[in-house]
Amino acid sequence: MARKGNTSMNTVQDGALVSFFRRNTAISKLHRYVGFLFVLPGLFLVLEFKFIPLIKGIWLSMLETRGFSDPKFTGLHNYDRMLHDPTVRKTFFHAFIVVCTLPVWILLPLILAVLIFQKSPGWKFFRSTYFLPYTIAPIVVGIMFRQMLAPNGALNSILRAVGLKRFAIAWLNGPTSSLLSLTSVALWSFFGLGVLTYLSALSSIPLDVIEASRLDGAGFWRMLLQIVLPLIKPMVGYWTVLCASGVLVWMFPLIYALTQGGPGVSTMLPEFLVFLTTFQFLDRGYGAAIGMTLFVFVAIFSGLSVRYMYHEGKGAEK
Amino acid sequence: MKREKQYRGKRLGLPVIVTLIVSAMLAVVSGSYSFAAPKVTTIKVLGWAPGNAKFWADTVAAFQKANPSIKVKLETVPFDKYSEVQGPYITSKSGPDVMANNAGLELFDRRSAYVPLPADVRAAGKDLLTYSGACLGFDVTQKCYGLPFSYQGNVMYYNKLILSKAGLDPNKPPTTMSEFGTACKAIEATGSTCLALGLTGVFPAYWDFPEIARNYLTEADMRKILAGKMPWTDPKMVKILQGLAMLTNSGWTNTNAPSISMLPDAADLFSSGKAAFAGTIISDAVNWQSFGKALGDANLGAMLWPSIDPSAPLAKKFSGIEGSVYGVTAWSKQKVAAFKFVKWIAGATNGNLWVKDVGGQALNKKVDKSALPNSPALSQIQKIVAHPTLHVGVLLSSQEADALSRGWQQVALGQMTVADWTAQMQTALQNSPSKN
Repeated sequence: MARKGNTSMNTVQDGALVSFFRRNTAISKLHRYVGFLFVLPGLFLVLEFKFIPLIKGIWLSMLETRGFSDPKFTGLHNYDRMLHDPTVRKTFFHAFIVVCTLPVWILLPLILAVLIFQKSPGWKFFRSTYFLPYTIAPIVVGIMFRQMLAPNGALNSILRAVGLKRFAIAWLNGPTSSLLSLTSVALWSFFGLGVLTYLSALSSIPLDVIEASRLDGAGFWRMLLQIVLPLIKPMVGYWTVLCASGVLVWMFPLIYALTQGGPGVSTMLPEFLVFLTTFQFLDRGYGAAIGMTLFVFVAIFSGLSVRYMYHEGKGAEK
Repeated sequence: MKREKQYRGKRLGLPVIVTLIVSAMLAVVSGSYSFAAPKVTTIKVLGWAPGNAKFWADTVAAFQKANPSIKVKLETVPFDKYSEVQGPYITSKSGPDVMANNAGLELFDRRSAYVPLPADVRAAGKDLLTYSGACLGFDVTQKCYGLPFSYQGNVMYYNKLILSKAGLDPNKPPTTMSEFGTACKAIEATGSTCLALGLTGVFPAYWDFPEIARNYLTEADMRKILAGKMPWTDPKMVKILQGLAMLTNSGWTNTNAPSISMLPDAADLFSSGKAAFAGTIISDAVNWQSFGKALGDANLGAMLWPSIDPSAPLAKKFSGIEGSVYGVTAWSKQKVAAFKFVKWIAGATNGNLWVKDVGGQALNKKVDKSALPNSPALSQIQKIVAHPTLHVGVLLSSQEADALSRGWQQVALGQMTVADWTAQMQTALQNSPSKN
């Protein structure tokens, strides 16, 4: 009986469980539908404004568009044409050089952030001014620096005045100096955002850790490299990803106002070539092909940075 | 029963009567409304508003007064951003009813976006000094895609004060390139720049190239350039590039010429009284009026660019071209109203406003030029424009125009030879869809 009773008890319990799970399954199904409904607007926006334009861009890159006449499908012809176009090769080489300056983009804001954080002499001045360049529109920055970097501009006048005449070069006219000048101006314009990013990360470091390192006799560089850097690694990773993609797609307004890609094509980056090819030469298909290649180029660099950041994050969790 | 029927009849009749009265009133009101205010057609006009805002406000008001059933809505875009805005309209085959483009190749490249002029609108062209730049191959017997109203072209302005300071006669500016070189030496000795020049953008192709090219080309050569049948390796074309290189290599220009633009930088250099000469245009931006305001009308002179070969057939000619051409878009649903506006643009009323508000050169022969302001430079321009030739700058494709300025930058900086520049120009020609 007892067994029978147990069995009937079990049967009752099983039935309750089944109905409980059924009810729960129904609830979880409902939750799933509601969740899907919440995601739907976002999904629509991603499809409408990211995915579809991307597909259209890929399609356009496979068309031959001569001026405003009707386009013709030519498969990968535009990509093949790119391989034989010395200007395209040069612009991607320039992009690679700009990417090589990434360590400066990462370290310079970090150094300034740490100097402000540890209240080094003059920190109040830097705290109130570091973000200022970022608030100036890049096109205005370009116009400002075009005057300052001219052969007889402010920078060279100062260099000559302080006896550094040999450094008063034609900043925007040399085949190498022009690209480096452009990159430096971009760095000046954007590094405030980096300092802000790093300062927000530094504020999460307990002050006693810094104090302890100082008591142990750690100097600035040792504290920076062995204490601060490991503690804010995820934020450094975030800034690196931002810069890796940013240096390749942030430059347009600066190039436009500063050099127009010249002299010759010495400051021409792929994004400016896309603009030139599409709007000035009216070759939309070829412009789209260069744009797609730039997209892949940026995706590779950003992907590598994200992958590195992910591995670093996993390492930190362990 | 009868009473009931009568009552029913009254009950049914009342609403019917009320409905009829209301309907009649509505009909009268709507009828009188449509009689008082006929249907207004709105046309959208895309352009960069050459001249000034007052001129465009005046001409639109005058057009609307003459055509009360048409309302004009202007979409004005800065000149250097124009192709970025116009391009998407053309590719999507939607947007404005009337658009502007520079006469010549720029317009021909975009002809699929325009409707050829019908005979009655084309007839308005007969009152113009020229409108061939709006017609295929600069030939008025072929299809024309719009009508212009202003005359445009290149002259060299000079600052009489700087010339006087350098011991030169301000009333006898240099007419040959060798005289120009001598003048530059004297001017540089006073600490001023001789020739204000900017090499970025497309200005070198439009403002400088034609003035050197006139020394070597004939009009037949220019038509070959338009057709893409004049290779850059041709000795005449090589000589033009050498002539341009000579301008910068002789040290007559500002040192930052390769990294600045003619507009606004080099024009500012001239306006601020730091340079003796500047090669720009007769109308629109940076003309005699703006320079006159900055330097004083009495101190400003205008002349043809000094000739390298004074015996060349076109050496003393003015590189002239119709200003912006206005045409009706292929997708416009208001073509009748849009063509009325195009006809208006070319008309004498608009020409008179152009003269009065802007002090510009109007193309309409019926325009009263006595309204032109009194300026020595403008008087000199009147004499110069009387002997026109084709403007070879607008016959270059955008690929050629871009390669010309980039190559010139590098030649000026000693980073490229004229031979390499020639090869670069030839590649640009081969990559020009409009010429192949």
